[in-house]
Amino acid sequence: MSAEQRRRVVGASPPVKDAVQKVCGTLTYPVDFALAGMLHGAILRSEHAHARIRGIDASRALELPGVIGVVTHEDAPEAEWNGVFLNYRGRIFDGAARFVGDEIGAVAATTPEVAREALRHIVVDYEPLPAVFDAEAAMSPEAPQVHESGNVREPLVEAWGDLEAAKAAAAEVVAADVSFGSQQMAPMGRNAAIAQWSGGSVTLYTGTQTSSEVKDAIAEAFGMPRSRVRVVGLPLGASFGEFWSNNFMMVACLLARKVRRPVKIELSNSECMAHVKRRHEERCRASMGATAGGDITFVDVYHLFDNGGYGFKDDVGFLVPDLWGAHAPAGRFECQGVSTNLVTAGCMRGVGDVTMGSVVERLADQLAERCGLDPLEFRIRNQIRPGDVLRMAWGEHLLRRDEQGRKRLIDEVAAAAPAELRERWPELFRLSSGSTVEMLRSAAEEFGWQEKFVGWGRPYYAEGPLRRAVGLGTGIHCCGEEMEGNTDATVRLMKDGSVKLYCAVGRHGTSADTTQAMVAAETLGIALEMIEVEAGDTDACPWSRGSIASTTMFRTGFKTWAASLDAKRQLLELAGREVFDCAAVDLDIRDGVIYTTEALRAADAGGRAPAGGVPIPDVMMRDREDTFGPTDSITGRPDFPMPPSMTFARHFAAHFVDLEVDVETGKIRLLRYLAAQDSGTVVHPQVLEGQVIGGAVLGAGFALCEQLHFDERGRVVNPSLSDYKVLRSSDFPPEAAVMFAEDADPVGPYGARSAGEAPTAAPAPAIAQAVYNAIGVWVDVPMTPERVLLAIETCGQARTITNGSR
Amino acid sequence: MAHFHVNGQRHELEIEPHETLAEVLRERLGLHGVRVSCGEGECGSCTVLLDGLPATSCLMLALQAEGREITTIEGLGTEDDLHPLQQAFIDEQGFQCGVCTPGIILSSKALLDGNPHPTADEVATALSGHVCRCGAYTQIVRSVLRAADEMEAADER
Repeated sequence: MSAEQRRRVVGASPPVKDAVQKVCGTLTYPVDFALAGMLHGAILRSEHAHARIRGIDASRALELPGVIGVVTHEDAPEAEWNGVFLNYRGRIFDGAARFVGDEIGAVAATTPEVAREALRHIVVDYEPLPAVFDAEAAMSPEAPQVHESGNVREPLVEAWGDLEAAKAAAAEVVAADVSFGSQQMAPMGRNAAIAQWSGGSVTLYTGTQTSSEVKDAIAEAFGMPRSRVRVVGLPLGASFGEFWSNNFMMVACLLARKVRRPVKIELSNSECMAHVKRRHEERCRASMGATAGGDITFVDVYHLFDNGGYGFKDDVGFLVPDLWGAHAPAGRFECQGVSTNLVTAGCMRGVGDVTMGSVVERLADQLAERCGLDPLEFRIRNQIRPGDVLRMAWGEHLLRRDEQGRKRLIDEVAAAAPAELRERWPELFRLSSGSTVEMLRSAAEEFGWQEKFVGWGRPYYAEGPLRRAVGLGTGIHCCGEEMEGNTDATVRLMKDGSVKLYCAVGRHGTSADTTQAMVAAETLGIALEMIEVEAGDTDACPWSRGSIASTTMFRTGFKTWAASLDAKRQLLELAGREVFDCAAVDLDIRDGVIYTTEALRAADAGGRAPAGGVPIPDVMMRDREDTFGPTDSITGRPDFPMPPSMTFARHFAAHFVDLEVDVETGKIRLLRYLAAQDSGTVVHPQVLEGQVIGGAVLGAGFALCEQLHFDERGRVVNPSLSDYKVLRSSDFPPEAAVMFAEDADPVGPYGARSAGEAPTAAPAPAIAQAVYNAIGVWVDVPMTPERVLLAIETCGQARTITNGSR
Repeated sequence: MAHFHVNGQRHELEIEPHETLAEVLRERLGLHGVRVSCGEGECGSCTVLLDGLPATSCLMLALQAEGREITTIEGLGTEDDLHPLQQAFIDEQGFQCGVCTPGIILSSKALLDGNPHPTADEVATALSGHVCRCGAYTQIVRSVLRAADEMEAADER
């Protein structure tokens, strides 16, 4: 019997752990959370995009009944704190404002209303400074400098092969210059931070995708040992990267320290949309060439993006070069981050691969058209397959090599791994598993691609003002990364046979706590109901990257598996010694009962229930020979490291869309949608389907309507759902379908990889291609009716309509 | 004193004229299943039923709901006694983060009360006053269709 057939939990779709609480409205989100004696805080925000603060006079605010205290830059610690992947760098307050709405102080009061009222009585003496709102302009040495360290980050360059020779040799070359406005996470359910100090230690309750990173940030900001910081991550609404470690969380801690009472800061929806974080504004200039037969010869990308006021990133976390560059003899990807006086920008779901990816996909489509290939064939011919070289294999410089030039590290790590994993160890810097190829083939058949694709720039249906056409697009993203720290998990088996799993993952709707518990249940041979998960408390969970960068199933899942394996080994050793009088390797667990492997084999062969089992509690409760007492608990820890995911693992998406363009109104209507996903083994099909459709909806929103707008003073002018349009149920085909290609990964838990970001990258290319096929012109995102109409009007003059507006 | 009928119970409260229904339900009565998100009637997460019809409680003054039958998610079913809609949303996983879920379930209740056998498109249209930022629309529509089937089957039994 194969391992797959024996699986009892992985591959099923049980109700997720908090399903009942979610449908009954009983789950406690940060806005619902309260502590006894708690005060309420409100944040004082800058009116200017760039200013020095000469002084803040809060005396009138402090006279208001109910106002307890105020903090400003004079109360802020000197230290800077760094957010995950440099999505933030700065002091809590430092007497300067770098975007409209920047935090410059805060008030604590007995009610939220009084706190907000008090803000109006604080007088700020600003010295306005020239501001810069455009990444291109901010590159100039004469531009206003957002930080003392300058606006321009070190560019990140990935290059291979002889680019100039490849350019000269290409039979077909296409180029594009595309600008992207900012997408806003537009999080649901607001967020709040509740801080409480006690004896020099602080506890923060908040909604975050990564409580470990928030803990690190607080320790850094306040210059205190991590042992004195506890963060309790609570369930939160859709986040998409908005709530990692944010400065409002630090402000809550500062305010609570000042007033010596617990303080809660609740953000309004418009604060979340205008003042916390957003996707970068980006500009991608790229060219790509191919042979006459349709083999890509080079990809050349220069990608500029703005970091806003406090981002410090030098890249957009892109994996496009892997998807499209594996077979290209030459390529160059240069990424350039620049500070501006706009609200802080950072990683949003599918970062880089959503934006840069859609440009490279368009170029690929244009090459395919010139070479007389359809988009399906062109992708199957050129995209990466297992065993192919990875262009974004970061970290090669860290490898130690022996005298023969062999990689020592991986041999050492592999040697320490359990036997079954050792045999499957991946080759570094090559793709371990998965690709778009199988998905493209099977999804094309399911979708009826051959019947509906009638040639480039041609609709399959035209009647009155309506044009219908199909399009497809592909996406890639990482499976976590390790460069800023390793993810960890522990498992505690209790004497009644129940288990607590400690792994710091986000609870923002991905059901990662449930899928981690499934991995533990499968490994331990116990029922899912016997496992509960602590996913947010840093005093209980070991350090984890959290649920960012598609880390959770691949990297956290690996550690959950490894910790469970360790607990199981300890339990079986105990059972072998104290009960069965045999070696641990001759025992196994099924449905919470320990049997000899021989008994299990015999039962399975005979199709009957196994005999001679001893339930886990009976082993745990038995008085031991060595301690003369029972075993109260067993703690399982991963006892071998995970190989670096960036060097071998990716996840993939291939999306197909059928849509209608009304050439009189410019409106695009999605008629049919099919999303194929390669995440390796599917642990929970229903959860993964949700991630895939959710990614498609977010990506389609980016393609069709979502864009933050700023005025000439750098203010967000549409920080509300009435002015910032997102897709609703009537905007997306209710019968959208999902298909899985399950190319099991050699390292991921039970062959699983990651899930959530590639499906956000595939929709925009698929929709743009379908629109091109419908109306014969490429339109930049967001493809609003206005832009579509403009594209049709200027169709005769220009083949590409670019995003010229701010 | 204002009189409120919430989830079959009567409450007498002294309230300020400017208090919204959402504030009274959440802060005075502790009904946190009334999720407030956008605060301007756009997202639908604060939806409650007023005499059986959906209303965004963040935009409504509490006094406007006086004397009317108010149903929040807490009044539809409980953790031990789920409404068929709640069960169907669990079975089809018609949610992700769960913030929009109570409001969507209540609007679905109103839809099925008036139209027990809607099509997928009718469900999608009826719920277009709600934002599910996670994008679980396909699963949400499936949940409502499943609930309609289950409720019909239960009626026949």
